[in-house]
Amino acid sequence: MHFQLAWRNIWRNPKRTVVIMTAIIIGVWSMIFLGALMRGISDGMVRNGIATLTGHIQVHHKGYRNDPVVENSMIDPEVVKTAMERVLPAGAQWASRVRVNAVANNARHTAGVTFVGIDPAREARISFIGKAVTEGRYLRDDDKYGIVAGKALVDKFETKLGRKIIMMSQDTDREIASRAFRIVGIFEAEMQSTEKQFIFVTKTAAQHMLKLENGISEISIILPDQEGVKQVADNLRAAVPSADYEVQTWRELLPLITAYLAIYDGFMYIWFIVVFIAMGFGIVNTTLMAVFERIREFGLFKALGMKPRWIIKEVLAESFFILLIGTAIGNVLSFLSVFALSGNGIDLSALASGLEFAGMSRIIYPAIYSHDVIVANLVVFILGLLVSVYPAVKAARFTPVEALTHT
Amino acid sequence: MSIDIKMAWRNIWRNPRRSILTISAIAFASVLLVFMLSWQFGSYDTMINSAVKIHTGHLQVQARGYNDKKSIRLVVSDPAAVGNVLDDTPEVAAHTCRATAFSLVSSSERTYGVMVVGIDPVREAGVSTLKKMIRQGSYLSEDDTDQALVGELLARNLKVGLGDELVVLGQGRDGSVAATVVKVKGIYRSGMDEFDRSSINIPLKNFQDVYAMRGAVHEVVALGKSLEYVPEIKKAVAAGIEDIGNEGHLVVLDWMELMPGLIEAIQMDLYSGFIFYLILIVVVAFSILNTFLMAIFERTREFGVLLAIGTTPGRLSKLLLIESTIMTIAGIVVGIIAGSLVTGYFQVHGIVISGTSELMRQFGLPERMYPQLSMLSASIGPAAVLVITFLTALYPALKVRRLRPVEAMAGI
Amino acid sequence: MNIVECADVKKTYQQGKIVVTALGGVSLSIEKGGFVALAGPSGSGKTTMLNIIGGLDSADSGRVTVNGSTLGKMNQSELASLRLHNIGFVFQAYNLIPVLSALENVEFVMLLQGVPPAERRERAKNILDDVGLEDTYNRRPAEMSGGQQQRVAVARAIVSDPAIVLADEPTANLDSKTGQGLLEMMKEMNEKKKVTFIFSTHDKMVMDYARRLVLIRDGLVAGDEIR
Repeated sequence: MHFQLAWRNIWRNPKRTVVIMTAIIIGVWSMIFLGALMRGISDGMVRNGIATLTGHIQVHHKGYRNDPVVENSMIDPEVVKTAMERVLPAGAQWASRVRVNAVANNARHTAGVTFVGIDPAREARISFIGKAVTEGRYLRDDDKYGIVAGKALVDKFETKLGRKIIMMSQDTDREIASRAFRIVGIFEAEMQSTEKQFIFVTKTAAQHMLKLENGISEISIILPDQEGVKQVADNLRAAVPSADYEVQTWRELLPLITAYLAIYDGFMYIWFIVVFIAMGFGIVNTTLMAVFERIREFGLFKALGMKPRWIIKEVLAESFFILLIGTAIGNVLSFLSVFALSGNGIDLSALASGLEFAGMSRIIYPAIYSHDVIVANLVVFILGLLVSVYPAVKAARFTPVEALTHT
Repeated sequence: MSIDIKMAWRNIWRNPRRSILTISAIAFASVLLVFMLSWQFGSYDTMINSAVKIHTGHLQVQARGYNDKKSIRLVVSDPAAVGNVLDDTPEVAAHTCRATAFSLVSSSERTYGVMVVGIDPVREAGVSTLKKMIRQGSYLSEDDTDQALVGELLARNLKVGLGDELVVLGQGRDGSVAATVVKVKGIYRSGMDEFDRSSINIPLKNFQDVYAMRGAVHEVVALGKSLEYVPEIKKAVAAGIEDIGNEGHLVVLDWMELMPGLIEAIQMDLYSGFIFYLILIVVVAFSILNTFLMAIFERTREFGVLLAIGTTPGRLSKLLLIESTIMTIAGIVVGIIAGSLVTGYFQVHGIVISGTSELMRQFGLPERMYPQLSMLSASIGPAAVLVITFLTALYPALKVRRLRPVEAMAGI
Repeated sequence: MNIVECADVKKTYQQGKIVVTALGGVSLSIEKGGFVALAGPSGSGKTTMLNIIGGLDSADSGRVTVNGSTLGKMNQSELASLRLHNIGFVFQAYNLIPVLSALENVEFVMLLQGVPPAERRERAKNILDDVGLEDTYNRRPAEMSGGQQQRVAVARAIVSDPAIVLADEPTANLDSKTGQGLLEMMKEMNEKKKVTFIFSTHDKMVMDYARRLVLIRDGLVAGDEIR
């Protein structure tokens, strides 16, 4: 009965109802759509961070994180491998690497780089490098002197495929080991800084050069499901001798991205509230108008013996319908906008250096998180009904006499 | 006061509750925009200033191509002549020379590849904040030779402290081996990890000897009196170096060209901010559109009488527009005042967003942020609100032109 | 000389799905300086007649001339200008602009005509004094009685010396004594200022004041007598 009456009442002045619904629709759309864009940006950062050799979980020798040198290598990776076999869920992928700071030079140029020895097949399954080679070829197990370098580095070094690069780094004897490699592949990455930073050889070549024997610097793990990362990391931490090994999740390994995520979260909820306040004024005002126009009617209801509570319910039911339709359409529109953009994403390559500076991906794929959608809708709904209480109470307070004499 | 304004004013107060809600919505948007834009502009200023002071200065004179390749061979061979040009440019506040070479730096335990930067200790202090960033030991003095300043993270990586020796091994300008031993005199920290782990600073004279620079440098770095003077200085300096027989060898680059990422990131932040603000204003506009529409619905009869006694439809539109504009202006004025007060408060006391200090540091921002209220930041947002609200009010104002007196008076 | 000439004026309305004939071909001439009542029961077409003469509404066919101008071909702003300069209106109710005082309501018309402020004020005061409202210059409509409001409306209608004043049931919302007072005043103005008054009514008492009584019934002129 409330609902039927309320439904008819909101269409007594269709234009007014449509206007306030439009405010709600734009508001809800902006909450969900811009939220999805922000999620898209932060997802891109996380995805990129994880793919750029971080993985979901990393295992290092104790101390490596603060002092990433060959001395802090895992001499006997078998211990970790056994532990991983026990605790990693089915479908998890991992790869071990040698990873040290090194100096790359050719006849004309010198630069500091991160020198990474990889197991080509395993590495391809967990990080970006497997698909990133755009010129030449990816590493093969038997590449003793083959090296894959980033495009930006190759350009800076004024060199090309087939040319030599000399790598220098401290070996386990604390001597400067140096070895000449030949560029077999050139990779391109999301960020120029990645192209300049990383240089890849096979794990055996790196171990040989640095006199590491079977030693490795890190093990990077990708799980089939990102949600379980913390649990798996805890299990793994318990399974390896804690005196010798450190196990960390990407959140710990990428503190800046984690900080970004927190800021984005905060910003998004502030945005929800701000948009709500903007439309809240409209909701209150429109409901007040609707109520004051019908003072006589409410007076009549009261004269007929209606309880004030009934009138409050009536008015709230009207807001309920307006909110319901507004949020429903807002949701649909935002889903459609996200859907339309999710195929190709939003290409921001024109601002490449700015993106690089801010650590963002070039293409943003908006991502709808059910959690955000629920929060946005709840904010609009609950607060929307809450602010409608004021006009509703106002309506309930009209006394029959003053209501009937009102012109 | 014209009768139109008088009528509009009285009409607004016929329904004070509604008008106040409408004015509040406008004021809310204005407050938010004043604060947010002041915040954004303030943080950009801080970012630019700290980046300029730590990295590039306002502008640099370099050999053509040096900025991309950082090759030791691309030099400014007569820095004194360029220095004279800068001295002759009145808007230049300070300038210095730097030379840079990538080298291997070894302590007794560790070796890292880093940038070795030769600085003029006295002049550098006027251009960059390096001197103020010293956390341990002391800054270089004028006659130091084999002393070095090391970034905090690099010192940690190299496992060195004050007084420890570092072996520097690189390649000179002429391709010869450049090697020297320096002592750690000071350890600095900028807060930007990348900067703090990637370079050491040694006196320029020593650098020039070790790297066989033959008196040349890589960058002549200038700081203007303020950011606004940069274009002017750039023009003057570009002309100046032509006069000393540059012939296209040297280029003048301003901070935007030296750090394209910074300015683009700022633009990006600004644009994305504008998208959010625009949507917010549109939501507010629809929120208050009903008030403007109701003004017609409720007063149709009155408009009928006005039309009947000979008021033109145009005048009715004008009346309605004056009404909505008065409300908008009231909202904006309240918004600007309240927004300025809020911004002013935080401009004095600063704001700390918990958990962000690490991130802020990487962009050269302090943990405690201070929004920067300016004419611009206080007016852009409210101006946008005014324009969009006015456009919103046009709809009912033009709609009223379609009223015909007889129907209007019979209406409601 | 006739101030209003109507020839075979017809007007129909769409009311829901039914077509209602409001005027079925009215021909009527009204002389300058007249004090004319259009009388008839409600729905007879007298309000429509007034609206058409006032240019508030347009006839479907026929010819209407007011003060020498033919209304049929005029657009909205020409009509507005005609009303502003040649016609004054008094309505049954809701006559005045609620946010303006009595004085301002009267001034408003002159303001639209571009009369200078000082003159405006002077004339407004004079006319309010003429209609017996010398004490209510600054009251707003909500603070005045119905009779006072109608007096202000009459003052506003005649202040700019229009050719005709059209009054649609001016006394309908007033008690009979106040109504008589208003009519006395209107008649006085008619005689003193030579303004033509045309008013509609269905009240016998009001008809008695008219010097010419035009009876309208079912959209046609059913009688026309000069008293």
